[in-house]
Amino acid sequence: MNFKNRFVVKVVGESGQGVNSIGEVLAKALKDNGLYIFGYREYPSLIKGGDASYQIDIDNIEIKSSSSHCDVLMCLSRSSFKKYLRSVRENGSIINSVVSLLLTPEEESFVKENKINIEFIPAKDIAIELGGKRIMSNTIMLGAIWQIFGLEIRKMEDNIREIFSKKPDVVDINLKCLNAGFNYDLSKLIRPKLEIRQTENFKDDLLLTGNHAISLGAIAAGVRVFYSYPMTPSSSILTYLSSVYHETGMIVKQIEDEISVANMAIGSMHMGARTLIATSGGGFDLMTEAVSLTGITETPFVCVLAQRPGPGTGLPTWTAASDLNLAIYSGHGEYAKCVIAAHDIASCYTVTQQAFNIAEKYQIPVIILTEKQIAESIFQVDRMPQDIPIERHILEGEELEKITSLDRYKNTESGVSPRWLPGSCDAVFDANSDEHLSDGSLTEDAVPAKEMYEKRIRKEEYLLKDLPEPEIFGSEDPDISFVGWGSVKNTMLDVMNILNEREKKKVAYLHYEYIYPLRTEVFQSYAKNAKKLVLIENNATGQLGNLITSKTGVLFKNKLLKFDGRAFFLEDIIEYIESEE
Amino acid sequence: MACINCNSTTSPTMKDFQSKNIFTWCTNCGNYGIHTAIRRALVSKKILACNTLTCFDIGCNGNGSDKIGGYNFHGLHGRAIPLAVGAEMANRNVTVIAFGGDGGTLGEGIGHLVHAVRGNYNITFVLHNNLNYGLTTGQASATTKKSMKMNCSPDGTNSELLHPLKFVLSLESTFVARSFSGDVKHMSKVFEQALDHKGFSFVEILQSCPTYNKETPHEWYMDRVYDVGTIDGYDSSNRELALKTAQDQEEKIAIGVLYQDKNSIPQIDRQMNRNGQMGIKIETEVYEETRQYDISKLLEKFR
Repeated sequence: MNFKNRFVVKVVGESGQGVNSIGEVLAKALKDNGLYIFGYREYPSLIKGGDASYQIDIDNIEIKSSSSHCDVLMCLSRSSFKKYLRSVRENGSIINSVVSLLLTPEEESFVKENKINIEFIPAKDIAIELGGKRIMSNTIMLGAIWQIFGLEIRKMEDNIREIFSKKPDVVDINLKCLNAGFNYDLSKLIRPKLEIRQTENFKDDLLLTGNHAISLGAIAAGVRVFYSYPMTPSSSILTYLSSVYHETGMIVKQIEDEISVANMAIGSMHMGARTLIATSGGGFDLMTEAVSLTGITETPFVCVLAQRPGPGTGLPTWTAASDLNLAIYSGHGEYAKCVIAAHDIASCYTVTQQAFNIAEKYQIPVIILTEKQIAESIFQVDRMPQDIPIERHILEGEELEKITSLDRYKNTESGVSPRWLPGSCDAVFDANSDEHLSDGSLTEDAVPAKEMYEKRIRKEEYLLKDLPEPEIFGSEDPDISFVGWGSVKNTMLDVMNILNEREKKKVAYLHYEYIYPLRTEVFQSYAKNAKKLVLIENNATGQLGNLITSKTGVLFKNKLLKFDGRAFFLEDIIEYIESEE
Repeated sequence: MACINCNSTTSPTMKDFQSKNIFTWCTNCGNYGIHTAIRRALVSKKILACNTLTCFDIGCNGNGSDKIGGYNFHGLHGRAIPLAVGAEMANRNVTVIAFGGDGGTLGEGIGHLVHAVRGNYNITFVLHNNLNYGLTTGQASATTKKSMKMNCSPDGTNSELLHPLKFVLSLESTFVARSFSGDVKHMSKVFEQALDHKGFSFVEILQSCPTYNKETPHEWYMDRVYDVGTIDGYDSSNRELALKTAQDQEEKIAIGVLYQDKNSIPQIDRQMNRNGQMGIKIETEVYEETRQYDISKLLEKFR
């Protein structure tokens, strides 16, 4: 399947061979030359060896998803050739540096049938001939791939100078290698027709991951504490926040386990410090008792749950959206909570800020769901969205004068009681994990116990009114009406752009960003008018669909579910749409 | 932000740390004495109730969370330490004290103890060591003596006993003390020193449990305890000596401050991005720092 303006390059090799470095340099250079990119990484859960890939989808409009197949495969190792050969499109090319690569008869016929051109570059020999080291073969390969785009070498040279600015002695040799690759005869290979943007300021575009956007959103929102225990795909939040902690002054701490992370966050938030924590499914499992504690003590709490496939260790470095149920139903007992699913840079940045406002306004746990596909993929944006004003709802100054201990858990209409910080006034209270009266004093009496239980649940009704309805994209008179959440939106919107060009079926997509508590009004009229309603989720059981059904009675007869550790590729959705009569 | 109701001349009284709630512990429970001693120490150190946060885990001691003045947080079983440590990081102006039983602390919460000691967070931690799980009706804990027959261990537990002080002293701790629930005066003095200490103050209280631990009641401890201050030339800066002195839990039991590192640097002052060592000194408390931050400089690296 070919898409008009999209061109896909995939760099593959062994983990530790420099696949990422080549991908990063290439992505930045393409951005700097006026193209839009989306970077997608696949890698195994190990440090050296195994096959890794860095795929760059290139287009002249903003894109946020990957194709399943590539136009050019750049191959650094034998095993990655074998693994990724079949990801090359018809008429595609393979550039490799694998010495005496032998193809099996099956591989030969695949290459022949699909008219794939294979070019070998003796990169290591060239590097050594030029007086460089074997590792510089990567720079030769970079030059070779740059040749394909027909862009000026000068611009890539600038990037090389920048990368090696701290090692001036290797700049010249790397430039030589780059040019050797750039001038290597690859005239047989098909070149893309790139449409370069005509605007001036594309160099100012940002390349960043979802985890970067969450981190930046947290910084903007005045988060001053970040606790975490490393777990893919959440870890790069910890990596980034610690890398800038001199600039921010934030407390960034790696903690001994997720149970401690969650309880420390509760302690810090209780005292008034905005605190973020992040983990993946397994770590969140450990946190759920603490989530329940925030329910009864009404402590604001914000946790990023970056999803990957389970159960157990599952596919640790791959993607899924299968922990919606875990988030919604986390923690024993019944109490208000909020679950939000981010999907791109703007969403990650904004939702992180909103999460703190919601957590502090309603004094509830807020869980931000992301996926490996969002957390670690490389997005290109021209700017960050506007900041959300901070709302804390903490009593201060004169507001504290008439406060008594009995106000802390006072039963109000909305269920939300006044909150103030320890140390701010003499109206002391007990944040009690046992059922309690309005000053936190323990009670086991039926009447106040029921009253408190209802008060805490009631907050959800008021929260629901505060949350936005899902958003609808695409045709107003669709043939197919999709419903989904998370990274699905990124692929869906790219698909709709492609389909518009093809002028085929009319498609609409309804996206849930604020998932729990669930708003249903917009969905219900969408579903009512749908000719064909399709649930699309990156899990096996249709978790959002089940939630919607339980709240609205609307059943999903058609489901497009993917749960093999991969995100939805363009082809997955287009094939589904086009296979429908 | 300071307490709006207090000024610099306000002095705390024992009454400030009282609660209207009625105690629910057994007659002669060691918890009564521990509570009284903590109150006394706080008053003696002139720490105001509004500037105190006591953190409790689940267990008999935790049932006292609403029976002591000041701000309280009654958290999860075995998790009082991370809760308290998180609170302490946010606001140094509030004195944070955590209480935990031998069950929660040395059972499912033992990892937290280890890492809080390593990190030297500036809290006082009181281990209520009554040698059993009281609130769940007398099961064996990590400190239950091997031969002792307990609920659910009819022939006695067959696991080896965990010695709290030897364990904590082996962890580069900076303040390690022991006292006994039958001596309020001694406990208060130990608590006062723990509150003064800059870092993680670990205080084990040998606590009587009249209901589930008949073997070592108040009288049993009374006959055996002696303060290290009575040892001629006892050097509390000597960890080896402390280890040796703490060893005996059967015949002659040493109490008092067994070990203290007077040069202890608490966790918050070890934060290299805030403590001035890297050129940036942040004087504010973390909780005061929430405001809108401009990220435009940080974005440069992504261009």
